[in-house]
Amino acid sequence: MKVEVKHWHAVAQWRWDTGVSSDDTNKGDDDEGDVCGICRVPYEGCCPACKVPGDDCPLIWGECSHVFHMHCLLKWIGTAASKQQCPMDRRPWVTAERKIGGSPISTGNVTGSNGPTTITADANPPRPPPPGS
Amino acid sequence: MTSISSRRLAKELMEIKNEGCPVGINLVQADDFSTWLFTIEVMGESLYQNEKFTLQFRFDQQYPISSPAVQFVVTEGRQAPVHPHVYSNGHICASILGNEWSPVLSVIAVCVTLQSMLASCKEKHRPVDNDRYVKHAPENPKKTRFHYDDDTV
Repeated sequence: MKVEVKHWHAVAQWRWDTGVSSDDTNKGDDDEGDVCGICRVPYEGCCPACKVPGDDCPLIWGECSHVFHMHCLLKWIGTAASKQQCPMDRRPWVTAERKIGGSPISTGNVTGSNGPTTITADANPPRPPPPGS
Repeated sequence: MTSISSRRLAKELMEIKNEGCPVGINLVQADDFSTWLFTIEVMGESLYQNEKFTLQFRFDQQYPISSPAVQFVVTEGRQAPVHPHVYSNGHICASILGNEWSPVLSVIAVCVTLQSMLASCKEKHRPVDNDRYVKHAPENPKKTRFHYDDDTV
């Protein structure tokens, strides 16, 4: 038997690589861990000032390990009231250099780069016919 | 056009309606995204048993980057709690409403903090400078530069 794949449909989902595995953050319906603490919009959404999520509305990491939408954090840090402190722990805000999983940034590596990271590619690629048919 | 504050407040309101308020705190009014009212009472044993206070929040368009203006309501028979950090005009001297505000705080977080401020009160009295302050106080408590000198209550 010869199988000819005429059509396939790929589905992909992206999520910021926050250093936390998606298994840990997706427990139950409680997505509290996945939202920006300032605007309460999911990391994968965008800050209230932006219309489109993604590279134009990135996340920012502090050395204290706290993560926010970059625009939200900068808005806060730009005020005198912030005293340049992290909103979570009031330590002086220091933006962290991103090191994901210790792997250097390389093109073609989907698990460790600065941009949105492809976590799952739930595609239905053409499969070989089962043996014996 | 929806402002930053209204989006964030809409989320907080939805959470309150879905999950309810903590014990002793009740939402009275949140018809818009500029003024909300809550009642607050201290549960269990405290100096404020059987007393119920009304707490008013006023938000500007920059909330939560800028702090809400929070005070007790003192009209129509409603009184501010007699507490060393609460002035008789309802203004509250609490650092999280001033220089320790953080945008990750929320309306409910503020309510809970003030509730526990009352719960831990050991002696009911007005702030020492109450009369002087009330005489010259600005309408909006955010315009007052409070001195936070006591973190025991």
